Amino acid sequence: MAYRSSFLLQIFANFLINTAEVLALFAMFYQFDSMGGWTLGEVALLHGMSMIAFSLGDMLTIGMDYVAPQIRSGEFDRVLTRPLSSWMNAVTSEINLRHLGQLIQGFLVLTFAFTQVNIDWSVTKVLMLIGAILTGVALFMALFTVEAIFSFWTVNGVEAINAFTYGGSDLAQFPMHVFGRTLRVLFIWIIPVAFVTYYPALYLLDKPDPLGMPGWFVLLGPVITAVFCGVVAWGWNQGIRHYRSTGS
Amino acid sequence: MRMYYELAKRSFQQQFAYRAATLAGLFTNSVFGVMLSSVYLALYWDKPENASVGGFTAEQAVTYTWIGQALIMPVIFWGWWLIIDTIRSGAVVMDMLKPMDYFRYWLSRDLGRGAAQVITRGIPTLIIGSILFDLVWPESWQRWVAFLISVPFAVTVSFCLRFMFNLWGFWLLDHRGISSLVILVTGVFSGHLLPINWYPPAIRDFINVLPFRSMMMTPVEIWLGQVSIARGLAMQVFWSAVMIGCCYLVLHFAERKVVVQGG
Repeated sequence: MAYRSSFLLQIFANFLINTAEVLALFAMFYQFDSMGGWTLGEVALLHGMSMIAFSLGDMLTIGMDYVAPQIRSGEFDRVLTRPLSSWMNAVTSEINLRHLGQLIQGFLVLTFAFTQVNIDWSVTKVLMLIGAILTGVALFMALFTVEAIFSFWTVNGVEAINAFTYGGSDLAQFPMHVFGRTLRVLFIWIIPVAFVTYYPALYLLDKPDPLGMPGWFVLLGPVITAVFCGVVAWGWNQGIRHYRSTGS
Repeated sequence: MRMYYELAKRSFQQQFAYRAATLAGLFTNSVFGVMLSSVYLALYWDKPENASVGGFTAEQAVTYTWIGQALIMPVIFWGWWLIIDTIRSGAVVMDMLKPMDYFRYWLSRDLGRGAAQVITRGIPTLIIGSILFDLVWPESWQRWVAFLISVPFAVTVSFCLRFMFNLWGFWLLDHRGISSLVILVTGVFSGHLLPINWYPPAIRDFINVLPFRSMMMTPVEIWLGQVSIARGLAMQVFWSAVMIGCCYLVLHFAERKVVVQGG
């Protein structure tokens, strides 16, 4: 807490940045009536869910940002000596609440969305909303871990993963059917961000899937996410093994 | 002058060393370009063909997103804190003692970097965009030339802004807080986040009297033919001059601050 004012400014600024994103959404709908057939409220629903899941996932895995510098400085050895699994140690080695601003913003946008769209609420829909956000948190935590995994081998080109972390959360803020086949396949089947916002939103809004998937398809979300997390966990362990085998 | 040219050349050459980073960056810019283009196109789904909204047809909007992605690295809209790093490490004192103008020292290096990144990042991004989408091209060779001239001015205005934000470091020493603020200011006010014309009139008119649109919106307008070449470039020259003046003013106070701290 050496830089208290800077810290508070950071949370405030983080809130502001995402205000810009929300401002852009409103400005788009100031000029246009719909996006791929969806209204402002419906797209705002996607925005809110994505922002909440992304900010929580990012906050919980902030330690992953420090793996690369820790490897370079030798600090990572110390992380490995602690009890708990290596991943837990790495994750808990740093705490940063910079994305608190985005989380607050996400809740505000979600609240706005609920005032705009008509959702026929039921117990299963509440569970769907919570489940979608939890799935999203897990998915983004895994994605931030991927970035750290690469740093066990290389420091070059790691920023390409930004296309999937920041890109993924941005993409999740818009209806999936506006994207072309390549992005759809990638973000439904491989990095399943479509299950964080789009498919749950279809269920909440009682909309049929314009892409023709049946209603139960949304339930595949946690399954594909679990597979993805499993692959990431395997990759993490390979990374740790590689790190040890280099003898450092 | 020769010295500043050499500095620019040196940092121009440096940029070609980071090949993996360049490829990774191109990949990221392209993914975002495809994503944003798809979103913008979806806004036009229920519009008649060739409908113009806020001055943009669907094709022009897509072109705008790709120019935006292409300019990210050359112009730099966020995350540039090299000067603050020197303030924290103390190297700033050595830089200031060098027998050259401190502002021009950094500006020439930044222009060299920008020129290199037009080649490594800007042009390849536009080529990828033109392969994947139908882009609108400048309608005359004069506009091509004008666009190419407008880019260094965009870099200059952006550099001045970054220079001033960095000099805050003399007082604040930490950039994490203001860095987010920079993203907001440059993102919205430069027109990088959304075409400025799409905002409600009150916001649009406010942004239009600020210098930041020179970083992105003016080059786009020159490209798309939304502004006359003379007017577009004149605005950029004007704002570059004003911003450079501001930089020297801030630098004047910052230098006194260094002396107060004992150098």
